[in-house]
Order: sequence, then C-alpha cells, then structure tokens
Amino acid sequence: MATSTTVSLPLPSSRRRLGWRGERIQRFLTHDRTLGYLFLFPAILVIVGLVAYPFASAIVMTFQEKTAGAPGRFIGLDNYRELFSSEQFLRTVFNTFIYTAVGVGLKFFLGLSMALVLNQERFCNNLFRSFLLVPWAIPTVMSALNWRWIFDDASGLINNILVRLNLIEETISWLSNPHLAMLSVVAVVVWQGTPFFTMSFLAGLQAIPKELYEAAEIDGASVLQQFKHITLPRLQPIFITAVMLSAILTSAAIQFVLILTNGGPADRTMIFSVLSYHLALGGAQRLGMGAAVSLIFFPILVVFIVFLTRRMLREKGE
Amino acid sequence: MALRVTTQRRVLQGLGNGVLVLMLLWTAIPFYWMIATSLKHDKEIYGYEATLIPERPTLANYATVFRETPYMLYLRNSVAVAVGSTVLSMIIAVLGAYAIARLDFPGRALLARGLVFTYLVPTSLLFIPMFAMMSMLRLTDSLYGLTIAYLGFDVPFCTWLLMGYFKSVPVELEEAARVDGCNRVSALVRVVLPMSLPALVVVTFFSFTHAWNEFLYAHVFTSTTSARTVTTGLVNFMSQDVFFWGPLMASTVMSALPPVLMFLVFQRWVVKGLTLGGVKG
Amino acid sequence: MPTRREILQQAGKTATVLTTTAPWWLVRRAHAARQAKLVVWNPAALAPQVDKIMQEQCYAYAKQAGIKESEIDYQIIGGPQLVPKLVASLEAGNPPDITRLGGGYVQLYRSQGHLLEVTDLVNKMQKAQGGLFPVSLPSVMHQGKAYGVPQSVSPWPLVTRLDLLEAAKVEPPKTWDEFVEVCKKLQKPPKLTGFGLCLGLQNDTDNNVMNMIWCYGGKLVEADNKTVALHSRGTIAAVQLIADMFNKHKIIPKGAIAWDNTSNNKAYQSRQVIFVLNPTSIYAHLADSDKELYNVTGLLPVPAGPAGAIEELTTAEWLLFKHNPYPEVAKGLAEYWMAPDNLRVMIEEGDGRWGPPYKNMYDSKFWKRPVFQHWRSMLERGRSFASPGSHNPASGEVLATFVLGRMMHRVLVESWDVEKAVVEAHKKVAEIYARHQKG
Repeated sequence: MATSTTVSLPLPSSRRRLGWRGERIQRFLTHDRTLGYLFLFPAILVIVGLVAYPFASAIVMTFQEKTAGAPGRFIGLDNYRELFSSEQFLRTVFNTFIYTAVGVGLKFFLGLSMALVLNQERFCNNLFRSFLLVPWAIPTVMSALNWRWIFDDASGLINNILVRLNLIEETISWLSNPHLAMLSVVAVVVWQGTPFFTMSFLAGLQAIPKELYEAAEIDGASVLQQFKHITLPRLQPIFITAVMLSAILTSAAIQFVLILTNGGPADRTMIFSVLSYHLALGGAQRLGMGAAVSLIFFPILVVFIVFLTRRMLREKGE
Repeated sequence: MALRVTTQRRVLQGLGNGVLVLMLLWTAIPFYWMIATSLKHDKEIYGYEATLIPERPTLANYATVFRETPYMLYLRNSVAVAVGSTVLSMIIAVLGAYAIARLDFPGRALLARGLVFTYLVPTSLLFIPMFAMMSMLRLTDSLYGLTIAYLGFDVPFCTWLLMGYFKSVPVELEEAARVDGCNRVSALVRVVLPMSLPALVVVTFFSFTHAWNEFLYAHVFTSTTSARTVTTGLVNFMSQDVFFWGPLMASTVMSALPPVLMFLVFQRWVVKGLTLGGVKG
Repeated sequence: MPTRREILQQAGKTATVLTTTAPWWLVRRAHAARQAKLVVWNPAALAPQVDKIMQEQCYAYAKQAGIKESEIDYQIIGGPQLVPKLVASLEAGNPPDITRLGGGYVQLYRSQGHLLEVTDLVNKMQKAQGGLFPVSLPSVMHQGKAYGVPQSVSPWPLVTRLDLLEAAKVEPPKTWDEFVEVCKKLQKPPKLTGFGLCLGLQNDTDNNVMNMIWCYGGKLVEADNKTVALHSRGTIAAVQLIADMFNKHKIIPKGAIAWDNTSNNKAYQSRQVIFVLNPTSIYAHLADSDKELYNVTGLLPVPAGPAGAIEELTTAEWLLFKHNPYPEVAKGLAEYWMAPDNLRVMIEEGDGRWGPPYKNMYDSKFWKRPVFQHWRSMLERGRSFASPGSHNPASGEVLATFVLGRMMHRVLVESWDVEKAVVEAHKKVAEIYARHQKG
C-alpha cells in the first residue's frame, strides 16, 4: 500500500508494510543528516579510537619516563632536552631529511621517466608495464631481505660479479661503509617504490586527451614545449599527491633500514622511525623517549602536508 | 637547430627503448638473485665459492621452510588478517565516503579535510601508544587485535580514495534511482557501487597489500608463534641458525606470490584507480 | 515470492561472506586468552642439535609433570628479536614463563620487578656436583636472594684454524703482537682474512672489545660497582690496537662493522677467517655440519697483552617471569634442564655448546678431550664483563645499549681520535651508572 506522497510507481517492498508512524521514523532515518552521521559513525570511531587516541597518548608518553610493564613517571621536558642535545638524534634528523628527499626525488624522476616511456607506443607494452610494477607488489620485508643478501660482503651478488670481472680487489662493504650505506639503503627504497610513481603518472598521462598534443603539434610546438605546457600542468595534482604520500610512507617505514643496516654504521643510516623503535624496544627500554622522537617529526610532516594539500585542495575549490 | 617533431619523436622512442631495457634489467636482476639463491645448496650460497648460476639446483630449501617453520600457519594468519581488515575497512570506508561525497550535513567539509590528515599519521609514530592500548584491551598476540590495528590506516586512506571517486559518479543516475523509489541506502548499493567498481577494486587491493605487507605492528604486537604473520615469521627465521639465507629466500619467493598474483589480476584497475584521488579530488 | 535471481544473489552474497570469513573460524584459537600452561622462549643456540635437545627435554619434563603437548607454547626465537619481543611483552603484561639471557639482564629485569624469586632452586644447585662456579652467582643474586637460574659458564677461547697454522709451520700466537703477525702472514684477502672480530652493534662486539681491554689492563668499573673506570691507558691501548688491526694491518674484514651475532660464526664456518673470539657455538655447530673443519678447529687461550692473557667469561641464566599463573611449572622446567644428568646430555650431545655451571662436571671424559685442554685454565682466570665489579642493572644496560660497540664505530667509522672516543664512552657509562643509582 503506497504511503509516500511523492511517488506513484511501485515501491521497494520494505515500505509497503509501514504505517504513518513508521513512515515518520523512516523519513527521519533517511534524512540526509541522520544518514550522514550514521554512515560516518564507524569511520569516525575508527579514526578516534585508532588514530586520535593513540596520538594523544603518545604525546602524554613523551613527557614520561617509562620502562616496559611499569606505569610512566612524569618528567616534564627532560626527554626532549636530552634528545635535542644528543648527537645521535641530530644526526637522525639530518639522515631522515636526506633519506626522504633523495629517495622520493629519485623515485619521482625515475617514475616519471618510466611513465613517459611506457606511454609511448610499443609492442607488448602491457607486459612490460606489469613486470615493472611487480617490485611494489612484493612485501617490503621481502625486498629488504633480498637486497641485504645482494649487498652482502662476501657472497652477495654485486661483489660476486665485481670480483669475477676482476674489477675490484677487496670486496665493497655496501652496508657497512659509512659513505656507501645510505646510498645502498636509498637504492633499495627506490627499487621498491618507483613503481608506485610510475603507475600514478602513467594513469595521469593516459588521461590526457591525444587531441591536445595533436593541436599543439599543428601549431608548431616541439616535443619539449608540448611536455612543458600540456603534460606538466595536467600531471601537477598527481605529482603533489604522489610526492606527499611517498614522503610520509618513506620516512616512516622502518623495514628497509632495520633489515639492511639497523641504523648503522655509526648511525649513518639512522632515521627517526628506527631510532624510535630502538629507544622503545631496545635494551634501554625508554618508551617515553621513543615516543618523543616520533612526535618531534610529526609537526614537520604536518607542515609539509598542509603546504601541499592547501595547493591541491584550493585547486579543487573545496 | 630544432629538429622536426617527428624526428624528435623518433629519437625519443629510441631513447625510451633504451631506458626501458635498463629498467627491466634493474627490476629483474634482484628477482633472479632471489630465486637463484632459493635453489642453491648452502655451499653454493656462502663464501667466495658462491655461484652466480646454481650449478646443482635443489628444492631442499623449500623443504626446509616447511619442515622447520610453521609456514602454512604464517600464511593462514596473513591471509586472515589481510582479508579481515580489508572487508571491514571496505564496509566502513564505503559508508563514510558516500556520506561525505553525497550527503549534506553540518561538519561535512571539516571531516573531509580532517580525513586527509589522519591517514598520514605514520605507524612509527603510533606503534608505542597503540601497543600500550592493545595491551590494556588484551588484544596483543591476537589476530583480532592486529586486524583492528590495521583499520587505523586502511579506513582513512580508503575513505579518501573512495570519496574522490564517488564524487565523480554522475549525480543524475542516483537521482533517477531515488525518483524510482530507492532510499539512500539502496541508491548506494544499486547505483553508486556498481558504477565505481574500479575504485572498489583498487581500495580492496590497497587494503589487502597493506595488511599483507605490514611489518611493524605485526612484529611488535604479536609474539607467540600462533599469531605470527608471514612477514614477521620470516624475520624471526633469521639468526636461528647460521646458514639461513637459502631457506629464507625460498620463503621470500613463496610469500611474494600472493600479492603479485593479486596485482597481476587487478593491475588494470589499480592504474586507473590511482588517478582518482589526485585528478578528480 | 523471491525470484530465482534473488535467491541466487542471496546465495552468492552468503557464499562470499563465508569464504572471506573462513580463515577467521580457523584462527579463533589465536586469541590472546592464555591457554598454555608453559610458555618458553628459548633463544636460538646457533647449533641446531642443541636447540633440538633442549626442546625434547622440555617436552619430556612436561610429560613427566602431566602437562599435555597442546598446553605448551615452545618457541625458538632468533637472537636479535628476543629483546624487543621481551620488552614488548613486558609492556603488554604477558611475558613468557621462561627465557634464557646473559649479560646482566637478570639484574636489569629484577630491578624492574619482573622476575620470580628462585633462591630454593639455586640452593639446590649449590648442593649438586660440587656447587656452582663463583662467577655464576653475582649475576643472579641480590641481597641474598636469587632471581635467575644459572645456566652456563662459557669462556671465549680463540677459535683457530689449526690446519692453516700447521701448514705454515706457525706456532699459535702467545701475545697480541704475535697474533697480528700471524694474521698478516697467513691471510689471503679477500678470500681469507685473519681475525673475525665482531664490530657491529651486538653483544659479541662489546664482549670481544672488553676482552682485549682486560689484556691491556683496562676495566669497566671498580669493585665497588659505582666508580666507572673505563677511561684508562689500558683501554686506550686496546682500542688503538683494534683500530690498527682494522686500518693499518687490515686483518679484520671491513664488513665486520655491520656484523650481527651470527656473522662471525658464519665467517668462520664458511672458511673466511682464521681466528674468532667466540664461545663454543661455532665448534658445536661444526660437529654436525662440517666434520672436516671441526677436526682442525682449536680452542686456544687468548693472546696475552701487557696485563696478561685473560678470557672473557660469559654466563647465561634462565629468567623466570612473575606474570605467570603457573610458576611451579616453569621452576620445574628450569630444575629439569639444570639437573646434572640432563645437563650432561645436553652439553655432551650438544658438542660443548656451553660449559656447565657446576664445578665438578668438568671431570667427565667429555671435557678431557684434547681440544678442551685449556678450558680449565680459561675458567679460572676468565672474567665477566663488569669485572672487578659484578653484573647489575647498570652494566646490563651498558651491554644492552652497546656502548663499547659505539665507541669502536666512533674510531673506525668516524675516524675519531681513540682517546676522545674512550672519554665519550666513559661518560656514557658513568651516566648510566648514575641513573641507576638514583632510581
């Protein structure tokens, strides 16, 4: 029995059995506002419970001295004071910047190059694309372990080849030479993460209509000019998103450094996520300190994100 | 000095081919090493006698993995956590994204912006208080706990991705459905979801691989064998014996297969889906 | 009336839900609620046959105590993972019932209130087989009570490729200077390097470096356990020696800076180094894996420095944690493992992986083998890390944070002046000791 006042077509079966009051309730329930909150409730619960609350308690922990299994003891800013005067920490800050900047930068350029290459017409392009994207699909732990073995002093792939070709006399310690360690770690990060950039940029490139290029060509634009004036502006939002995501995920990942060098040699590859892990769960068990390390980096990340997303969101007109 | 555009293109094509070959090699060689090591005897792996090509390939390392470690158990756990967190975050994200994209209610803009920030809080920041929280709730050493922990990243990220795509589904189709008598919920299910299938596939894929891949939480939150996942179980495998690289590479090869297979199946959608958040916003 | 289509759709949806949740039905048991009566975290012994024997003994004990196999959670954990997992589990309030650690961890965790008191067990052990070696006790005793069960006493001999020495007709080196010469003469880089000294941020490093410091007259702390004595001429001389070995004489593999606890084992076992300072884990592993190398491996005394030839002596203990609903079970297991007969089996069939802590057990035939001829003297003159002090929470933290390893990195990686690095390390150690005295 149709009870709605606006519709004359057959209604979904659920409505038929309701009376007047049922209809009021149903209208309340289907009102945008109620539905909105209802639908969002689980998401907000997750965010508050699993992000906001731990974040807040992380902040509290940074003001405490806390060992495992015991309640924390309030010590004010002592953790921060100790960190800022610690050479290891300052080196970690420096390392994190270099590691993230170089890693993301290389991924960006390699990814863009690959995307441009894959965008060219070619036989079996799909096959190449699939293959090139596989490193990103493997769990990072696997990549890290594999590369640790590749870099190994005595039996690793690189040294093996170099010795066989008689190019070196002494094997190269990729992971324990202070000058090479960071480079080696970044190489692995780039190997693993470039496909993400390649994929994003390729999708963006494929979304640009060919007509634009043809029109430009008719107008006499060179390939470089086409690239500068058509491709780049179109890709800009993707650039921003990809760089932002990658910067966060790269700097916060611990697998690579932990498995390849554990922060060494002499803290040459120590980044803040690994330092936090060591401080909290290493022999010293200083959980408050570990949390403080992570927290110090957070504002830097936030500023970076705000800066990037402001440009992006502004362009969307949100 | 400027070459004709067609010549420019030809030069670029040649350059592109060269770059492609280099990248293919760069990608393939580590894979080769991984597989080769997994097929070698210990004597061929270590020391200066290490061979480049296995001279006497053997499957012994694979056998060792199954014999010495509860690999199937790790696999089962990884699958359980990945599937569980994916299903849950999908449901939550779909509802949330739809609400932000379509429904009008106070606070909507604020929530949308807030969402962008929450998934950017890195796990290395949260793992300590998250761990303390899980201990309090007695959820450590439990796959349930791990699944819930993964939601913290998956839900914001997937909601954000879906939000962008839902916005790009033409409103008219939904309006038509509602005129036909659908309420919001059925409009969502019958109209929007089928139209955003690529996006849903991408979200599922990301969620799954994130959970499959995840290391830090799994490492810190679980200690008993029965709760270990593939990633953490393998790392523990190291340093149990002195000569572990063979079996470790074998287990690495095996563990890389599920996400790679999944990826090969879904990659078309994944590539499409990656532009969703960026371009369509 | 639902149409066929709708039924199929429903069925499809149900099937999807079922398949996606299927793994969950299977993992219900993985929930945190503790079902095991005995949770053992045994760190890997680096000689697989020993791991096996200990596990078998554990299950034998369980059977004897009426515990079902399903009620035991026995795990073998890789070395570097043990401490982070332990810390995490302590924070979560569910540490294992029993685990094995050396290096002052007993004192560290006792001071944090995590350990079970086991004085009765230790007293029982004192009455067996002539009692325990004096060096075993300081690590576990505190104010007359014992908080750990001594498990082993291991001197760190100089593990040597006797065949290479013989082939070159060279005598085993008696002093460190001779040692350097022998290495330079016999090594063939890059395939064969002289000295596999661990220099990564690991226990092995701190122990090895301390060993050499003693031979040159240095020490960590005075007998009062309060006055830090690291900065001394002896320490500087020892560190300088290591630096020279690395940079000038090049008898240490360059990659040693990144070694973990198994790397020196691996280096020796794959025949890449001539000498290693290590407990007998290498020797025991070879018994099963490489009989040829096993037969030509010697366990020689440490070369002498100006202050003499002094070996590192490490002890390991069983730690029993308080948060355990079945403490008697764990205690029973420790007692079972340490019962002289069981211990004898583990040591002898484990090819001497550790030395027993009981004085009289060295009178057996096993220990009379020629390869162990120096063992007795090593036990007698060997010292533990904090000597002349004894292990306490502070020394435990010094070891756990690899202070000496970092000191070596300053010199070898960052090219610091040796004295500057020693002074910095001394300051760090003093700060740790001060902090533990306050709290």
